[in-house]
Amino acid sequence: MTAIYSIFGRISETIEKLAAIHRLLPWILAFALLLPLPQILSALFNDYYIYLANKICIFILLSVGLNIVKGFCGQVTVGHVGLYAIGAVSSALISLHFGWSFWLAFPIGILAAGLAGIVVGLPSVRLEGAYLALATLGLGESVRIMIAVTPLFGSSTGLLSIPAPTIGSFTFDSYTNYYYLVLAAAMIGIYLSFSILRSATGRAFMAVREDTVAAAVHGVNVTKYKLLAFVISALYAGAAGGLFAHMPPGYIHHNNFTIIEMVTLLLMIVLGGIGHIWGGIIGAIIVTIIYDQTLEFYFYQPLLFGLTMVLIVIFMPRGIGGMIDRYLATKKFIASQEEKSNAAS
Amino acid sequence: MPLLETVDLSKSFGGLRAISNLNINIEAGSIHGLIGPNGSGKSTFFNLVTGVYQPDPGSKIIFNGHDITKSASHDIGALGIARTFQLLRLFSEMTVLQNLMVGYHTHVPYGFMSTIFNNSAVVKKDAETKSEMMELLELIGMADYADMPASELSGGQRRLVALGRAMAMRPKLLMLDEPAAGLSPVNVDNLLSIVMALKQRFGLTVLIVEHILKVVMETCDTVTVLDYGEKIGEGSPDAVKDDHAVIEAYLGQEMDDDEVRKAFNS
Amino acid sequence: MSIFNKNFIAAGMAGVFVAGMAASAMSADIRVGITMRMISENGQRYGQMVMDEIDMINESGGINGNMLKATLMNDECKSDKGVANAIKLINQQKVHILIGSTCSSVSLPIVDITEKAGVPQIIPHSTNDKITKKGSAWVFRVPVSGRYYAGVNAKYVGENIGKKIAYLCAADAASQNDCDAMQSQMKSQHGADPAYVAQVQEKEVDFRTHMQKIKSAGVDGIMIAALAETMARALTQSYEAGIPASVRRIGSSSASNSPVPSIAGDAAKGVFFAAAYAAADSRPIARLFNEMVKKRYGVNSPDHDFSQAYDLVRITEIALKNADLKLDDENLAADRTAIRDAIANVKDYNGLASGPISFCAAATPQCRDGNRTAVLIAYTKGGKDYKTEVLARVTMPIDFGL
Ligand SMILES: Nc1ncnc2c1ncn2[C@@H]1O[C@H](COP(=O)(O)OP(=O)(O)O)[C@@H](O)[C@H]1O
Ligand SMILES: [Mg+2]
Repeated sequence: MTAIYSIFGRISETIEKLAAIHRLLPWILAFALLLPLPQILSALFNDYYIYLANKICIFILLSVGLNIVKGFCGQVTVGHVGLYAIGAVSSALISLHFGWSFWLAFPIGILAAGLAGIVVGLPSVRLEGAYLALATLGLGESVRIMIAVTPLFGSSTGLLSIPAPTIGSFTFDSYTNYYYLVLAAAMIGIYLSFSILRSATGRAFMAVREDTVAAAVHGVNVTKYKLLAFVISALYAGAAGGLFAHMPPGYIHHNNFTIIEMVTLLLMIVLGGIGHIWGGIIGAIIVTIIYDQTLEFYFYQPLLFGLTMVLIVIFMPRGIGGMIDRYLATKKFIASQEEKSNAAS
Repeated sequence: MPLLETVDLSKSFGGLRAISNLNINIEAGSIHGLIGPNGSGKSTFFNLVTGVYQPDPGSKIIFNGHDITKSASHDIGALGIARTFQLLRLFSEMTVLQNLMVGYHTHVPYGFMSTIFNNSAVVKKDAETKSEMMELLELIGMADYADMPASELSGGQRRLVALGRAMAMRPKLLMLDEPAAGLSPVNVDNLLSIVMALKQRFGLTVLIVEHILKVVMETCDTVTVLDYGEKIGEGSPDAVKDDHAVIEAYLGQEMDDDEVRKAFNS
Repeated sequence: MSIFNKNFIAAGMAGVFVAGMAASAMSADIRVGITMRMISENGQRYGQMVMDEIDMINESGGINGNMLKATLMNDECKSDKGVANAIKLINQQKVHILIGSTCSSVSLPIVDITEKAGVPQIIPHSTNDKITKKGSAWVFRVPVSGRYYAGVNAKYVGENIGKKIAYLCAADAASQNDCDAMQSQMKSQHGADPAYVAQVQEKEVDFRTHMQKIKSAGVDGIMIAALAETMARALTQSYEAGIPASVRRIGSSSASNSPVPSIAGDAAKGVFFAAAYAAADSRPIARLFNEMVKKRYGVNSPDHDFSQAYDLVRITEIALKNADLKLDDENLAADRTAIRDAIANVKDYNGLASGPISFCAAATPQCRDGNRTAVLIAYTKGGKDYKTEVLARVTMPIDFGL
């Protein structure tokens, strides 16, 4: 156990050291290290794992976004998957109907989801807890139902042959090629989430989560930050949606956006660490892999996932990220105390 | 001109008048005490001034020349009123340092967009804020605990963090709601000396609600006494101490001078 | 307690690794991947039937001495799961042929996966006509395509029932397709516009408002296009609303599924639907099949999803027997191509389906919608021991609906 912790400790130390040289250095290095992953996965295992890596990157965007609004700002939302759907359908429709390039359709999809994020976030101004969960669930589900009954949005057949993105003559039409795109998106998403959450904005989110009255008294505009959290998380969901839509085979269907997907997302941030800056990332990776490795037990999967969620909430309320943090903070505190007593003696 | 002035301030909860036509002036640079029995409306007064509750129509609250009667809490905070809560309301899952950084929120010198488009400036500014907050933590003796979650501190430490978080707002008026409740006598003295030091250093005006009358008597320039939401006495600690209406309300019975003195000095 | 245990991770990594190595080291087996909707009771039986039939091939000596090694995965009728299954089966199990899926919304995206990977895909149940219109050279459809069904129904309805038809259309892929097709066919064959159209949720439970409106519209027939359970509820409610039996109830393709008569009971009587197989078929092969399904799965009068699963395995068996397979790692792509070509060469397969099934080499719907004979079946009795009769049998022209 401690071995695992100290690995994480070592990693975070290394990141800090690199960041001291240049702020972007850890990111560039990580990107460079992860770039040949498809070739490694293909050599070690098989091409299926490249597809899985694509999926993980998309899920990272989704869960990092969800963690911002749920984990950091404390706003219960079950509508995240509806925003994901809006990003997917908007981007797909724009490229299918207007023939616009992915590079136009994708940002428009993100913006559409961001706008919808305001709508999903509005109930949070008045509602809390279970009521807010219900309101956002209603909004998320109505998006799915809209898609299911509107032929333009694909209804029952789904939207097919959504074109793959291209740059010049390079086409992101294989999972290896697409991986470069989703990896870049995930890295940018993670980087931005770190920038936001480690700034005054992130602290204001947490203050709202902890105590709205105390936050307001200390100068935090609670309504503004609640909505901001919803919009940011919606932008992440929109980006994930667009990337999902254009990923080969370029097909989306309303049953990709059900409450089951929402629960899976929640499990990701609960396991990874609700309100932990790495929570969404750790969660997306672990849950996607475990989910894949237990596909044969599909019958028991919902039960398994539900149980896991309950057990984590009871025994590990801050998830994996929280456990690692706690270990590192305690270690640091003990070290500083020892240093002090050494200096004194 | 007083720093804070309330005119006919009233607040009813259903049929209950928690604050009734209250006129209070708090002079700039003073330490003003607010005392009264449990349920007399002291915390409600705090909540009215800081926009947590909306006052009844006809009330008026003026701070530093601004009418803040209808202002939102976060705007009032930005104008320079900081407060602590009787039940502290710390951001318990955040570290001590983060608690203070939230207190600094209204002075943050960058907007949301620069976190994305000019992050290096943000990192630099935050580092500056951090060292400023660390200085404040040194002042209140909590620097060692900067990275601890607030939830893991002892009761006394939490009171200090609440004070630090309020001070991080760089307020003109600092309002303390029973800051010494539950502290041991040594800790009470420690807290008081910290408050006095902060007042000197930052030129604060302080409004303090306290049950330990000794604290009030020793530190305040002016004391206002509340009972059932009404002002029943006001003046210097000595004058208030001898006011029989106050004694009766506060202690619920007539006492001889000796007993009174004992009660106020214990 | 914690899953974050060193041994667990080590074991997990090793497991993944071994599984990967094992897959690539296999030889002399013909690997068959199956992805189907294994969630409802019948959905599981269809999958089980494919597996059982494959086991029986192995028990009787396999294909030219080679055993079939089948992997069955559940896609829950979700496209992303189906796509993941297909990619896993193709790249990890390195299957020679992919069977799937049940739902059109899953088969549709998989067509692109199999086409790109060069793996023959043979479809047991999906009827959406877009599947073969994509033009993949690797896809084969055993069921009757939606484009044929639409013509059969509309022809019979317009000539024998009337032209004033109300529609109740559920939001799942197959039902929407059936509903849209029927409406446009009524228009093109008989110039009839719909008398009433209701769009409902995939699992809607309350149709009373729609039924009242349909009742007052005074129609000749109602088409109820929905998955089995939903259709059964709608049928029952149509009688509760007081719509007389003289207004004929027309089912979509899933009316063939046994939950419809068992749940709807008396309300199922007179309901007819187009299908690829009639349990009331008097041919000996059909009688034997019905008995076998009853014995194995406890189902009376099996619907065409059973017969199609069965026919699919038979067609696959024929093709595999005719294909010249090397079954080693180097020839995986060649073997897949050989199997594809062998399926394309299956002509006039006479199985349980109401008419012969034939494929051909071109990557067109004409070549890959192998079955164009539909049968119209009516329930003569509802309930668990429901009875059916054959109303008509129609073979559509090969280009119909294109
Ligand atoms: N939010 C509220 N709703 C209803 N009654 C309240 C509320 N806040 C305070 N009160 C009532 O107002 C009166 C004054 O309370 P408070 O200001 O907390 O007293 P103090 O701080 O002087 O002990 C009490 O009777 C209390 O019950
Ligand atoms: Mg109080």
